[in-house]
Amino acid sequence: MKSDLNDSELLRSMLAGDEEALSVLYRRRQGAVYRFALQMSGSKTVAEDITQEVFLFLMRDGRVFDPAKGSVSAFLLGVARNYVLRRLRVEQQLAPLGDDFDDDVPVLHASTDICPLEDLTRAETIESVRRAVLSLPSKYREVVVLCELQDISYGETAEILGCAIGTVRSRLHRARALLLAKLRPAAEAEDADSATVKSARCFA
Amino acid sequence: MNQRFENDEEMLTRGLQALASEMKDVEAPEHVEVNLLKAFRARQVVVPISTRRRTSRGYWLAAVAAVLLIAMSVVALRWKSTEKPAEALAGREPQKGRVIGPRDETPKPVEYQAVVQPAQPSIPKRVRHPRVRSSESAQLASPSEIATDFIPLRYMNVASLQEGGQIVRVEVPRSALANFGLPVNMERSNERVKADVLYGVDGLAHAIRFVK
Repeated sequence: MKSDLNDSELLRSMLAGDEEALSVLYRRRQGAVYRFALQMSGSKTVAEDITQEVFLFLMRDGRVFDPAKGSVSAFLLGVARNYVLRRLRVEQQLAPLGDDFDDDVPVLHASTDICPLEDLTRAETIESVRRAVLSLPSKYREVVVLCELQDISYGETAEILGCAIGTVRSRLHRARALLLAKLRPAAEAEDADSATVKSARCFA
Repeated sequence: MNQRFENDEEMLTRGLQALASEMKDVEAPEHVEVNLLKAFRARQVVVPISTRRRTSRGYWLAAVAAVLLIAMSVVALRWKSTEKPAEALAGREPQKGRVIGPRDETPKPVEYQAVVQPAQPSIPKRVRHPRVRSSESAQLASPSEIATDFIPLRYMNVASLQEGGQIVRVEVPRSALANFGLPVNMERSNERVKADVLYGVDGLAHAIRFVK
């Protein structure tokens, strides 16, 4: 069974021309690559393109992967990161990123076990966090995406980004501070709105 | 203040966790996999990896060969250009208008041809006096003879020499050498020395050289 093989073995089989190995490896790793690209770019189209490019790169130049340097998933995310940054640079030259993050926003699924009001609040929170993350400079955004959203260890993140663990820690600290600064006014405005509603209810 | 900071941090962590859990199951659409598999199959059929590697090696070989060819042609061109002046010097024909050929012992007039000049009236040409060099005069005389340069006897009209002329072997008193500023051994002043006199078409003697 191909699914029993680890990533390196699958990669080797794929490079030897095994289509099933590619399929298994893709299904195993495409989610992380796609989510990373989506969280970095904020666009489904870009994320799809990048996922495809990453695996095409693997098919073409998969021999450059060195197991001694890290895992296949870290390698894939590193490749994805390069493609994303390249894409962002091009898009920055064409049109500066504004507040409108297009209609590629991932669909927020309403959960059934909580009340609609809480669900709405949660959706709003997620949306504001997503916007705040997307507005971060790319070097801070990538550490937030990898460490906070993809739940990847600092060590592996450092591997993907090609920097020291200390750099990852300091960037993450700075990124969180920036996110707080971005989210605080929104939270304060929300508090003010809820206070107004409460007082209106009292006087009603 | 600290309490507020902690609250903010907590809020941020919760927000990030919520976003992460929201996107936990997000995956690439199926058509991406379909496209990839299509590309993989096409790749396997059209360009197998081994062939591709060989092709790229072929490109490298071609590039190296091209560089070598260019380098060799540059070297060859340079070599040729450095060789040309030497060849030109070696292969230069003797100028017309100069007297050539071995000389007889007897005084024999030697004809020399008129110089054929290309018609270039507009360009002023530098006038060059027909001075016979010692090396050339050595060619005129027999190998055993030693000759001086031609010494002009008067103002030399180049035009008269260009149309033709004659060299006549004569014998003159040794004391005549003194007239041309040459050293004379007074003990042998009565002896005669051989000389070549250069006559122009005007019948006048233009130059003389002494032969030993």
